[in-house]
Amino acid sequence: MSEAQLPAPLHAVFDEITGVIFKRQGARRLRVDIDADRLPTLLALLKGRAGYLHLSAISCVDWPQDSEFELVYHLGSYETQVMVAAHIRIPRAASRYLSVYDIHIPAGFFERDIHEMYGIEFEGSPNMTPFILTEWQGPPPMRKDFDTLGYVNQHYSWQQYDPQWLRELEARGGGLVE
Amino acid sequence: MRPENYQPVNHPASHAFELYFGPNHPGIEGNYALHAVVSGDTVERLTADGGYLHRGFEKLMEERLWIQNIALVPRICVPDPVPMEETYARAVETLGGLEVPVRAEWLRMMVLEMSRLTAHLFTFGGHAATVGLYTNMFWGVTDRDMILDLFEELTGARVYHMYITPGGVRRDLPPGFLDRLSARLDYIEQRLPGFDDLFFDNAVFVGRAQGTGVMSQEQALAWGVTGPNLRACGLQFDLRRDDPYLRYEEVEFDIPTESAGDCYARALVRRAEVVESIRILRQIIPRLRHLDGPIRCPLPNPLAWTIPAGDTYVRTESSKGELAYYVVSDGTEKPWRVHVRGPSSMHAVQVLEHLGVGARIEDIAQIMFSLDACPPEVDR
Amino acid sequence: MSSMTSYPIYRDPDTAIGCRTVDEQERSLLRRVLDRIADHCRARSLFVLHYCTGCGAIELPPSMTSRFDLERVGMQPMVTPRQADILLITGYLSVKTLKRVILTYEQMQGPKYVMGFGSCTINGGMYWNSYATVKRLQEYIPVDMYIAGCMPRPEAIQQGFLQLIERIDSGRATAWQDYYRRYDWYLGNQQAMFGEQFQTPTDVIAEARHYALASAETTGRHTALLEQQLQQAALMPVGPGRAAGESQ
Repeated sequence: MSEAQLPAPLHAVFDEITGVIFKRQGARRLRVDIDADRLPTLLALLKGRAGYLHLSAISCVDWPQDSEFELVYHLGSYETQVMVAAHIRIPRAASRYLSVYDIHIPAGFFERDIHEMYGIEFEGSPNMTPFILTEWQGPPPMRKDFDTLGYVNQHYSWQQYDPQWLRELEARGGGLVE
Repeated sequence: MRPENYQPVNHPASHAFELYFGPNHPGIEGNYALHAVVSGDTVERLTADGGYLHRGFEKLMEERLWIQNIALVPRICVPDPVPMEETYARAVETLGGLEVPVRAEWLRMMVLEMSRLTAHLFTFGGHAATVGLYTNMFWGVTDRDMILDLFEELTGARVYHMYITPGGVRRDLPPGFLDRLSARLDYIEQRLPGFDDLFFDNAVFVGRAQGTGVMSQEQALAWGVTGPNLRACGLQFDLRRDDPYLRYEEVEFDIPTESAGDCYARALVRRAEVVESIRILRQIIPRLRHLDGPIRCPLPNPLAWTIPAGDTYVRTESSKGELAYYVVSDGTEKPWRVHVRGPSSMHAVQVLEHLGVGARIEDIAQIMFSLDACPPEVDR
Repeated sequence: MSSMTSYPIYRDPDTAIGCRTVDEQERSLLRRVLDRIADHCRARSLFVLHYCTGCGAIELPPSMTSRFDLERVGMQPMVTPRQADILLITGYLSVKTLKRVILTYEQMQGPKYVMGFGSCTINGGMYWNSYATVKRLQEYIPVDMYIAGCMPRPEAIQQGFLQLIERIDSGRATAWQDYYRRYDWYLGNQQAMFGEQFQTPTDVIAEARHYALASAETTGRHTALLEQQLQQAALMPVGPGRAAGESQ
């Protein structure tokens, strides 16, 4: 993708940093794929040079087939309409990364959330204690290898519902579809 | 109480004691807890404790078909479910390349603004109840019910409508609906001076709310505050104008702001937004009268509907702030990942913890309600 | 089988009316008339605990405020469980909330009534395959009535409450007694959910004996675990440095 398609403030940023892959995903969405170790630099540049003050969210996507976690940092600006989504990949086995709390304070909540849901450690994040799953004893639930229905069948029981009309139906050879 | 459960407490000599604003507390909006360390009447430290409403939505959404998720999605934000439906639908449409018909877009705008009205009327009541004015809750909830009646007529349900589906909306307007909507809007407009006399100009409320929970614009921007809370700090930013969706570029509306950044400013911003929502609705009504067309684009068989692989980030201006969905598809008939970013993720956790420091015990509830913190969005 | 099957059932003749096992043949006519009057009055003055446990709570303000006014049937919200009669489980129950609901339920004083609100309390509802919600509420606390819906509208809530009033009035709303009669079973389910160390500050077995509702199934192998933990706790030294309580 050519530099000419980037909005003006972002030129200043992407002149400084190399090795990024751009993809325009709509009139106001820009996807940037970058190495994991260069992300904090990108975030600091976007905040300082291009006015991307707003960290909207940090999302985590589990790709077990690639053995990687993908972390997506969604950044917005109050001056430009284009949102930037910075995508990085971290290895699934190691599952640690740096915290960007010192650049964007909202990261504190999202990193805490990703930690309890996916088990990824963020070094330098102010609070890694569980927020939602404070009494949860199982594995990180949002990982793809956690089977929620299996867990439910093991730990909970269902109502027994055996009404007369259903028994009559079954006696005649009908019944519920499995 | 068993004697074994009496624990001697080993605190250093200080005036501080711990106060649990537990989940069973009318001063907490919803099922949420705040752990306060207070010294005398002043809070020294406030820690938020959530998870009481956790249902594992994001996991559940990965296990269901794209069309089945429209039943799950409104339940994430209980007081204001329509922006949730709209954001999910728009994410699926962006990924799936669906084109929503024009009439459906205007219908969506109509229900979005109606939902904003109900949410703000509810907050009038909630905010007033935290300062001891319970009449306002009765008024606000009853006026909100007038709009819920319209929702029931249109969609069949009062609260969780499941009206906005990927591709359009589920039903067209019943005959005479727009006249009834117009009459209700007249009714609400005529009620607003009453709310002013009772609540917004009430000297006791002004005394309680001014100067409480003050945020400067720099703090708000640093903490990730969005929506009416940010507009109350002086920044005129609204996603309907600055990241527009649907047909908001074709309607005229102002973006009210206040500069004080305290509870009073936030209440005033919401009151002004009620006026703006009514104004937008009055522009939508004549368009809907004269616009014809389908209300839904043709969809494939929903049980075998696959969306091409890709990801998208969609934002909406809900009544509480910036609501966003990050949806990833891997090309199958179920989503690969749906991440819901509710506005209260910031407001109910970090912002509340910051604003609580130095507040008085009786103001914690007021600060929480004035931020319009919605725990189901935080816990998902 | 538990070795605690035989113990004296303490019948205090001055225990409050209407909250003992009703053995119609044994009770005198006067007692039965007084029970009937007490139930009649109780049914018309119910305090609902103001605890919004889940999404259904959004339909409570409309039911309680002027439009659908619940106060005309004598119901009011009450903030403390010690003075509330009805515990409304409005919507789904996440596991974290369930622990607090059990604590709250035990703090309420008998007779007390639990209403399950919405289909999530019946069989998990919309979140049937969620790892974080409880599927069958009645395994953990006894439930008097369920109101179906997702969520129930105020008219349905009113009808549910009116049916509850009618049940209380006719003396049939005795699910709270089941908690004392079969505490071992409830505790077993609670321990299965929260671990074998789970205990609450309320001494349910003593209350069961006080209300003369203790039966053979009040104690069993699960309450035996409780006894063990209490004995161990009693042996531990009390003083600074002791770990904060086992009950949570």
